[in-house]
Amino acid sequence: MEFWTTSIGVAKMRPIPGALGDGYDKFVNDAAEAEALGFDGYGSGEHHFMYDEFMPIPLQAMAAVAAKTSKLRLSTNAMLLPLYDPMEAAEIAATLDVLSNGRVSLGLGMGYRPYEFDGFGTRKTTRGARLREAMEVLRLATSQDSFSYHGKHYQYENERLQPRSIQRPIDLWFCGGTSLQGARRAGAAGLGYWLANSPFDHTENIVKEYRKAGEDAGFAASDLRIASFKDVCIGNTMAEAEGLRQMLMDSFYDEHILGYGYLVDENGKNLYNPAKDHPLYRRFVSSLYCGTVETVIEELKRYEALGMEMIFLPSQQRELIAKEILPEFRK
Amino acid sequence: MRLGISWDTDRFDDATTGWQEIVSEAVQADQLGFHSVWVSEGRERAADVSAPSILLTYLARRTNNLQLRITGRRVTRALPVHIAEEVAVLDTFSRGRAGIAFARASAQGVPPEHVHEMIDFVTAAFASDELRYRGHYIRFPAHTPDDAPQGASVPDSEGPYVAQWDWGPETPDFLAITPKPYLPHTPVAVEIDDDETLDWAARNGISPVVAAEMPTEEALDRLARYRRTADAAGRGRREVEAVLERRIAMDGGSDAHTLGGSPRDILNAIRDLRGRTGISHFVWRRNGAAPMDLYRFASEIEMLLQA
Repeated sequence: MEFWTTSIGVAKMRPIPGALGDGYDKFVNDAAEAEALGFDGYGSGEHHFMYDEFMPIPLQAMAAVAAKTSKLRLSTNAMLLPLYDPMEAAEIAATLDVLSNGRVSLGLGMGYRPYEFDGFGTRKTTRGARLREAMEVLRLATSQDSFSYHGKHYQYENERLQPRSIQRPIDLWFCGGTSLQGARRAGAAGLGYWLANSPFDHTENIVKEYRKAGEDAGFAASDLRIASFKDVCIGNTMAEAEGLRQMLMDSFYDEHILGYGYLVDENGKNLYNPAKDHPLYRRFVSSLYCGTVETVIEELKRYEALGMEMIFLPSQQRELIAKEILPEFRK
Repeated sequence: MRLGISWDTDRFDDATTGWQEIVSEAVQADQLGFHSVWVSEGRERAADVSAPSILLTYLARRTNNLQLRITGRRVTRALPVHIAEEVAVLDTFSRGRAGIAFARASAQGVPPEHVHEMIDFVTAAFASDELRYRGHYIRFPAHTPDDAPQGASVPDSEGPYVAQWDWGPETPDFLAITPKPYLPHTPVAVEIDDDETLDWAARNGISPVVAAEMPTEEALDRLARYRRTADAAGRGRREVEAVLERRIAMDGGSDAHTLGGSPRDILNAIRDLRGRTGISHFVWRRNGAAPMDLYRFASEIEMLLQA
């Protein structure tokens, strides 16, 4: 099981004001450090039009990282593919793939913030179909010298990608949140599925549904790849770990989780500023796993036993994780 | 005068080896005191760079001094918001060294007005906080009504403050494209091959670029016309930088696109061009020059141009 991570820096954090240029430097320096510490991958998310100047083009951030690293997988988590022309996305990805000697992994998401869709002139209701079509275009563009594609939203005739990517095709992951519906769709399409943060029991259910949908659609087990974001908060005591979790919620997550419609109810409806005792908010908070080094290792071993190809860990406590956690998975 | 380098990519067999050479030369140019590198958007040849901002952001972390200029940028594939964003992100990773030059309309198969509108949009995005845009080709945000002012507009009053995380499902009428470049007037230029674009750029204070494809005498005519039009429109000479790109043949022959001869011959040729056109930025389009030629240019031409 690989371990990927990230850093703060490509967005400002309101409780910890700082210069964006310094943050960008930190993001790159932390990548070099993560590589030295033994992490396998590193990534950036994507948002647009943000008050905190959140990184809008994650592959561009990873181009800066590519210049200072040599082994790390360079990932997006997630690149909001419906907001791109698919061949524009393919060109950006292939360019970085060449510069990095084949290290790009694309975590691709649908997006959920209404103003982002309005800013790009893309109807939010089309995002699921656009993502599926655009992922197929990416797969074709990076695996064939020339391709044609005739979808509902995108059409290409004898199209050729320049440059030719090193990876054939480029590594693609569907970042599907934590809905069972998304899991089934990903499985039915044979897409690598990268889950959002979720308590283990729910993760186990999602993986089961994903694999069943994939097998029913005729895909081999080896085609059905899974990975997961997993926030962990490590303390010498539970109270210490939970204190770290509260700090994360206060400094970053609350502003991003409560607003913008990140939380989605069972009917697929986005929730804007639900109360903090809403079951979905409480489930998100509990998905940030709190424990000691030993219990965190135990918890991550459960994910490994599920067949997770990769776990994406947060930026905090990176050194502690590298020193105490990673070695347990390299034995 | 500022001096930069760019590259012909047709001599490279593939992107991997070609781009390694580009990176190596850019790093050398940075150390030798060149002012800029220009990476052109292209898709025809094996080593063409379809996403210049990615290569330049990579170079941002390998260089310290060079201006990093996207050039030949087309409006036909990248979304307008992405173009504004990529320049700002490059600018932040490079601490204020980014710039962009747009390709001529004829190279893209679009009307010149499409290029003009894109330039108007990105320059407004750089210089404004929240904005909206109503154009023929660009509407930002998408729900901007038909009765909004044409072009870029900003809110005419602050109104009550609503934190972004309280917006809910509604999109406001104005959005800020973030991040912003370090300076509101990041260098923006356009190829002036067609008369409409030349006239529009001259009247609106957008810097002119003439690429190496245009013969030198024709390039001089275009730059002279630009200057006359800008003067007539009351634009000051110091508002823009006039950019001329040529090939150079050190110890070789000249032709319609190439300055050749000894370093002193080339120095005098560049001075002559400067005197005739007022160019303030000369770009050497490299097409297989010997490795020591960058050093020779820096020591025998660049420094003497400033003396």
